[in-house]
Amino acid sequence: MALIIGIDVGGTHADGVLLDGEKILVKNKVQVDQDNLSDSIIALLKTLLPDSPADLARIHLSTTLCTNAIVNETFDKVGMFIQAGPGMNPNFLDCGEHVCFLNGAIDHRGHIIKSPDQSTIDDAAVTFKDKGIESIGVVTKFSHRNNSHEQDTHDRLADSFPHISMGHRISGLPNFPRRVYSTWLNAALKSRFMFFKEAMENGLQQLKINCPCYILKADGGTIPFTAASDTPCESVHSGPSASVMGCLALQKNIHDAVLLDIGGTTTDIAIFADGSPLLEPYGVTIKERPTLIRALNTKSIGLGGDSAVSYTDKDFSIGPQKEGPPLALGGNVPTPTDAMIVLKTLQIGDGAKAEQAMLQLIPDQTPEKTAVQLLQAFANRINQVVEQMIEEVFSRPVYTVAALLNLKRINPKEIILVGGPAKAIQQILADTLQLPCSVPEHYEVANAIGSGRTRPTLQATLYADTSDGTLSIPETGYRGTVRSYFDMSDAEARLTEVITTMAAEFGMEKIPEIDFLERQEMNTVRGFSSSGKIISLKAQIRPGLEQL
Amino acid sequence: MSHFMPTAPNPTGLVLFPAFDWCISPTHPEREERLLYTKDQLIEEGLEDVENISFFNPEIAQHKDIDRVHICVPSSQKLLTESHLISAGGAIRAARAVMDKQVKKAFAVVRPPGHHAMQTVFGDRGFCIVNIEAIMVEYIRRHYGVRKVAIVDTDCHHGDGTQDIFYNDPDTLFISLHQDGRTLYPGTGFIHEAGGPSAPGYTINLPLPPATSEEGFDMAMERVIMPLLDDFQPEIIINSAGQDNHYTDPITNMNFTAQGYARLNRLLNPDICVLEGGYSIEGALPYTNLGIILAMAGLDTSNVKEPDYDPRNFIQSADMNSHIATVCDQALELYKQRDRLKKDLAGEKVVKTSKRIFYDTTGFDVEEERSYHTCPHCPGFTEVTASGLNNYVHAFTIPFNSCKKCRDRAKDLYRTTDPRGFGSVVLQDRVADTYEVKKNKN
Repeated sequence: MALIIGIDVGGTHADGVLLDGEKILVKNKVQVDQDNLSDSIIALLKTLLPDSPADLARIHLSTTLCTNAIVNETFDKVGMFIQAGPGMNPNFLDCGEHVCFLNGAIDHRGHIIKSPDQSTIDDAAVTFKDKGIESIGVVTKFSHRNNSHEQDTHDRLADSFPHISMGHRISGLPNFPRRVYSTWLNAALKSRFMFFKEAMENGLQQLKINCPCYILKADGGTIPFTAASDTPCESVHSGPSASVMGCLALQKNIHDAVLLDIGGTTTDIAIFADGSPLLEPYGVTIKERPTLIRALNTKSIGLGGDSAVSYTDKDFSIGPQKEGPPLALGGNVPTPTDAMIVLKTLQIGDGAKAEQAMLQLIPDQTPEKTAVQLLQAFANRINQVVEQMIEEVFSRPVYTVAALLNLKRINPKEIILVGGPAKAIQQILADTLQLPCSVPEHYEVANAIGSGRTRPTLQATLYADTSDGTLSIPETGYRGTVRSYFDMSDAEARLTEVITTMAAEFGMEKIPEIDFLERQEMNTVRGFSSSGKIISLKAQIRPGLEQL
Repeated sequence: MSHFMPTAPNPTGLVLFPAFDWCISPTHPEREERLLYTKDQLIEEGLEDVENISFFNPEIAQHKDIDRVHICVPSSQKLLTESHLISAGGAIRAARAVMDKQVKKAFAVVRPPGHHAMQTVFGDRGFCIVNIEAIMVEYIRRHYGVRKVAIVDTDCHHGDGTQDIFYNDPDTLFISLHQDGRTLYPGTGFIHEAGGPSAPGYTINLPLPPATSEEGFDMAMERVIMPLLDDFQPEIIINSAGQDNHYTDPITNMNFTAQGYARLNRLLNPDICVLEGGYSIEGALPYTNLGIILAMAGLDTSNVKEPDYDPRNFIQSADMNSHIATVCDQALELYKQRDRLKKDLAGEKVVKTSKRIFYDTTGFDVEEERSYHTCPHCPGFTEVTASGLNNYVHAFTIPFNSCKKCRDRAKDLYRTTDPRGFGSVVLQDRVADTYEVKKNKN
């Protein structure tokens, strides 16, 4: 038997399931103490364990650890080394007080224009050490094309600092400010994550569990706990991933769909195209910092069952804030939940108080009518945001004639609805979005199931310049030479090898299909003859469920 | 709004469309690779995340948008590929973003370029088939009721196509500053080319000597271009933003810089920029394009410098300065005299000109004769006959600002003119927004 435990830690509760394939053997929920996450998780784990711990194949964990650190700004002090080269004035980059800007530059082709002064690095290292800094971030512009300035700086500092994060290892994508913020964040989360990892490992040892443990990422994939200690930033924002992957597990045959996770204060929206959840083009934005941390394209709006409602100028205003529980459940302000109670789609609370809530909003019409109008406004708002998301995906820039001529708008065929009020507003959402709307079974533990059933995701990017004879694969830190006849099929073969190796390190037994994206092959011409080729290619294992 | 990324004081739109799958020929300067490094630089800079900078995909222009401006022989359907419609559509998208107030300014970084394409089009000349700025201008006139437009062509080559299209339009002030036509393609753009009989002084050419640098461009901007714009009071300023004045450009001989381009655009303060030429694809375009975008957006450009930039390389000689000063004085004088020039020409009802247009990309000539039918009340209408490549066209163009009488006369002439041989007769009516073609039946 290969059993899997899936755990999703939320703001107040942690949900867990013990899965045997698609079957839920045990499910449970505990209160979470955000300051002692590992204790809460271990306590929940104890209740989920199978009779024989040896049957347990893996533990999958979606945790709020890093998200909390970000919300509470409990970061490590980070010393940043940044080389910006020519371009925008880099002064806007805000990475705290300890920043050392390096001179020198690497250009858009990965050519070294000038190396940074080593004395600047040494002087800053002394200052950073004096300040008790242990975690370092090193980022250069175009390090995804040539990592040597990042690598050299790393090597120079390696003996002095225990933790050094380099930009090119976090992502092979372009976008220098995002690389800076991702690297800073990664460095800032380091000791907190290590502390958590140690506590978890001790706890697991006490429970005599020695199966591998995986952490859920923001991109609908997992990463082994051990690998995550190099890139703790990957564990942020995993909540939406758990929910999206849970829906994928619970609802069969999803193709093009809208996923709505409606909670008490927020609604999370995700979009599926061809059976896969859409990803952000670059990465997630965390507390206003744009990053290259790969993430699902989800949108969270301040609109939920318990959102505060007011009515002015013949218009409902719903959320974004929540002011206590619904009136029918002892609160003071009308909420959409009160409307659901009035319409009897939700059988909880005090019906009379719910009617009062509606009368409080519009005194001169029946509570039923107000309730219908309120939920209609609720559904309209969701519809509006869904359309906006689809438009944003449609408007993503393309760079070739063929791509522009082939642009197609996503056309969802169904809505999948999870979260507390799901069943109560299923009908009105179906009518408003004019799509069939289903609420999958076991949706109350969708996130824990999502966490448990998710497989690892991987990504690697390749950039080869045959006129220079160079090849870079930033995610692995590889930079080497390449022959003049290197072509796109060689690039595919090379990335397949890289992904296969990574997958084995990640404990994947079967390698899922590898997607090749953003294929670009360009002749370089100097004078009037061809001098070589620039080939770039991205390979990924897209978010998906572990095959049973 | 986040303080982690800069906020552009001027909301700016960017249509970045490098057309990585289109070229004139694989080793031609206008090839797939041309905007590769520019795109790489702009994306790596994180412009997509700068607050108030928005990216737009181009739209695909319709043949109707082309036919509003050009007389294509045999037809716009036969001459244009999708790439040309997208490039023109990119310029239109940039203009729409501004006119619809989605942004305050916009830059179409698109290819292929357009400023050598004249009103009649038989093929590709100077890497251009259709004039994307002109198509954009007539589009916004048609759809947004804009009248007065200024086009400042800062490409190193004379914007002969744009000049040709707006030559007789007093509502378009066309200023081109370029490397002297005695030393560079297309060999035109002298001061005496100053506009048709209805618009003398509304075409201003500033031929600059080879090796002109930042000082020379500053002088032209401060002494001529800015005062003329202040006087003309256009509703819209467009920069035909070629970037081949750069010191590293392989097919020109100027000495301009990214810093210079940024300063020029900060001063000019254009509503819309449209990329034209620029063939130093690695050493110049990534920096000049970035400099122009940041200047338009009102952001700091002080760090946008070529890796080998050294201010000492850009000092001009006293001789060169005085030569440029003379050019500036002549241009200013011309503009000041524009009303007198118009009076001198007032007696003539029909002003005839002729020229031979060389299409360099495939190599053939077109003979063109043009009659400006003048009018005391409006710019009149234009009659063109052109022949080349065994084709012949006889066309009448009614400009957007013509009076009813001229319009009726042009339509009468169209009706009574018979097509010759395989040729066609065209009526291009920008007032009614129609394009009619007559051909012999067989």
